[in-house]
Amino acid sequence: MLDCRDLSVRFGDHLALAGVDLMVPTGNVVAVIGPSGCGKTTLLRVIAGLQRPLTGTVAWDGENLNAIPPHRRGFGMMFQDHALFPHRTVAGNVDFGLKMTGSPLDVRRSRVEEVLELVGLGGYDHRSIADLSGGEQQRVALARTLAPSPRLIMLDEPLGSLDRALRDRLIGEMRGIFARLGITVVYVTHDQDEATGSSSCAPERWCERAGPRSCGAIPAPSSWRACSATAPSSMPPWLEA
Amino acid sequence: MDRPVDRHLALSESRRRAGRLGAILLVVIPVAFLGYFFVYPVVTIIVTGLAPDGRLDLAPFETIFSRPSLLGVAWFTLWQAVASTLLTLLVGIPGAYVLARYDFPGRRLVRAGVTVPFVLPTVVVGSAFLALLGPDGPLGVDLRRTVWAILIAHVFFNYAVVVRTVGTYWERLDPSLEQAARVLGASRWRAFREVTLPLLRPAIASAASIVFLFTFTSFGVILILGGLRNATIEVEIWRQATALVNFPVAAALAVLQLAGVSAILVAYSRYQQRRTHQFRLQAAAAAAQRPVGTRAWLLVAANLGFMAVLLGTPLLVLVQRSLRTSNGIGLDFYRGLTQHATGGLFVPPSTAIFNSLRFALVATVLAVVIGLLASAVVAYRRGFAARSFDALLMLPLGTSAVTLGFGILIALDAPIDLRSSVWIIPIAHSLVAIPFVVRTAVPVMRSIQQRLREAAAVLGASPGRVWREVDLPLIARAGLVGAGFAFAVSLGEFGATSFLALPTNPTLPTAIYRLLSQPGTATFGRAMALSTLLMIGTGLAVLLIERVRVGEVGEF
Repeated sequence: MLDCRDLSVRFGDHLALAGVDLMVPTGNVVAVIGPSGCGKTTLLRVIAGLQRPLTGTVAWDGENLNAIPPHRRGFGMMFQDHALFPHRTVAGNVDFGLKMTGSPLDVRRSRVEEVLELVGLGGYDHRSIADLSGGEQQRVALARTLAPSPRLIMLDEPLGSLDRALRDRLIGEMRGIFARLGITVVYVTHDQDEATGSSSCAPERWCERAGPRSCGAIPAPSSWRACSATAPSSMPPWLEA
Repeated sequence: MDRPVDRHLALSESRRRAGRLGAILLVVIPVAFLGYFFVYPVVTIIVTGLAPDGRLDLAPFETIFSRPSLLGVAWFTLWQAVASTLLTLLVGIPGAYVLARYDFPGRRLVRAGVTVPFVLPTVVVGSAFLALLGPDGPLGVDLRRTVWAILIAHVFFNYAVVVRTVGTYWERLDPSLEQAARVLGASRWRAFREVTLPLLRPAIASAASIVFLFTFTSFGVILILGGLRNATIEVEIWRQATALVNFPVAAALAVLQLAGVSAILVAYSRYQQRRTHQFRLQAAAAAAQRPVGTRAWLLVAANLGFMAVLLGTPLLVLVQRSLRTSNGIGLDFYRGLTQHATGGLFVPPSTAIFNSLRFALVATVLAVVIGLLASAVVAYRRGFAARSFDALLMLPLGTSAVTLGFGILIALDAPIDLRSSVWIIPIAHSLVAIPFVVRTAVPVMRSIQQRLREAAAVLGASPGRVWREVDLPLIARAGLVGAGFAFAVSLGEFGATSFLALPTNPTLPTAIYRLLSQPGTATFGRAMALSTLLMIGTGLAVLLIERVRVGEVGEF
């Protein structure tokens, strides 16, 4: 279980996060919604260990992770712009995390194939990243995140740059994949459409179809900062599902 | 729970200290290298020109302005550069248009081929035009020592600058702007003059200033084709310094030339800052179409034919002359390269090949190591210091090679006399090559997004591993491209080398020049053979660059 308590981050005199709590039980999918610039990405970066919090703790199953560098946390993160390595092929990208674990080559190879198959990119191994469409890049990023079997996956506006039709399709596919693998997922989006549920890719529906496990969306006040600044201590846990 | 945090902090503290030491070394090595081998010689020239005896004394400048022959040199330098620039623009702009707007079979090949002359060493270009326009040339005219030979060679050399600079810009200009003008009632020519030409102006200005700089400081081509009759300031510096040993006048000429070059660079950067047009630039190739109609095909064919004649003929004639012996086609001149000492060379010409390869290897290593260290400073640091460091690194580009060689000749005699050391030649070459390495590596280093490093870290890579897996492969590729540039530059460098290479220890270009300045069919044939080999060597280095460079690495 992911358990974040009282996380604050300050950039200069700008408080990007102020006393945020977040709990995600193992196997659940949680969506975090809020307008741009309200600190959602910062929250993910703190969980991943890429950003040191000013206050607060990030814990997994009761173990405090604050002093653990990002590469030893066993988390996965899909970046907003995918951050695919331009000098590696599709397979080279997907293989990266496996290579870091030091698994033997044949294991890695079959795992890469398996994951690429899972995201519907079987046979794309030797393609160059530059030759892929936006949707294909997004799938490679997902495959790369899934490959080392992380205990938690963070998705930072994973569908932001794609058009509506493609988003709908990919959401359906990702939902299926997460349900099948039973992974813990934190998903952030700024999309007001999604927040009000008028879009077909609204997180509620996103989660609802994710499977029988419970999930939910964090209600977004005007922005996190404003909300946290008024009543940081009395803030209820963002979400418990 | 506190322990690991403490250890983590302690670790990062010592790492930070090591990082600071590394950062200092990063700055100190390139600054020391450039400071001693570049800035110090150039300052010595300025001091020698302005104060030959330790106090301000303008006598050298009075000599220049009172002697008609020297004033003539300055005037010739200026007008031949203007004429070369205008001629190159005149023939280059139609070529740029054809390559930018028309799609035809073999377009990519033509585009690559057009660039070949630009990367050739000046001595090879000189040899090729001597073969083409000399007494035994296929045209049956002798244009040696006329200004025509120089102008044609300059157009040959710089055609690619115009085609590439203007062409890439043109390619990305939205054709609907010109179409809008046509619909509004402008004729084809009117639409070009009123819409396209003004939009192209920044690219044309940029190409023109590059061509002007190159032809203003032209040395090898002029020395070979113009002799001393048609000398530029560059040639005159060399003559004053080496033949007449008149250092103050040579230094004063160099100061005048530096001032001229700086004026051009300042004017150009002013112009660049002033232009504020916002364009609709679009992805390349979208605008290129198959030629339709006789008129379009004629235009394409005429330009391709012109390119073939202008760019192809001199090189073919060069190769042909290297093979044309008194008893038909043969390799006699190539075999002659290993024979002893002919025409002004104290050693067999093959020694020059060996020397050039050796120097090029050392120069490449120096340029890549120092260039990459310097690039790291420019790419990763911000603020005034990094910007002025960047400017310092670019100075060798604006300084002529002859100035560099002359500066080293008069400056580096103490504390250790480096002038007679063979090391000074690859060091001089690396100075010329460092700007190329930096310009290739800095954009690559800057383009490595922090995001990629973070992605690698989240996927389980430790900080060292991140550097090895993400930064290194990308930088290594840029380094390889830079190495190719450095190798090609060193192989062909003539201006600085002509001051530093002794007759007993020639490089390929200096050996070719020495052979060319002696009479005799055998020496001429050997010069052609050496030039052909040099052309092939440079070609291979450039081919390596093109192979390694996937997509666009760097700014060249």
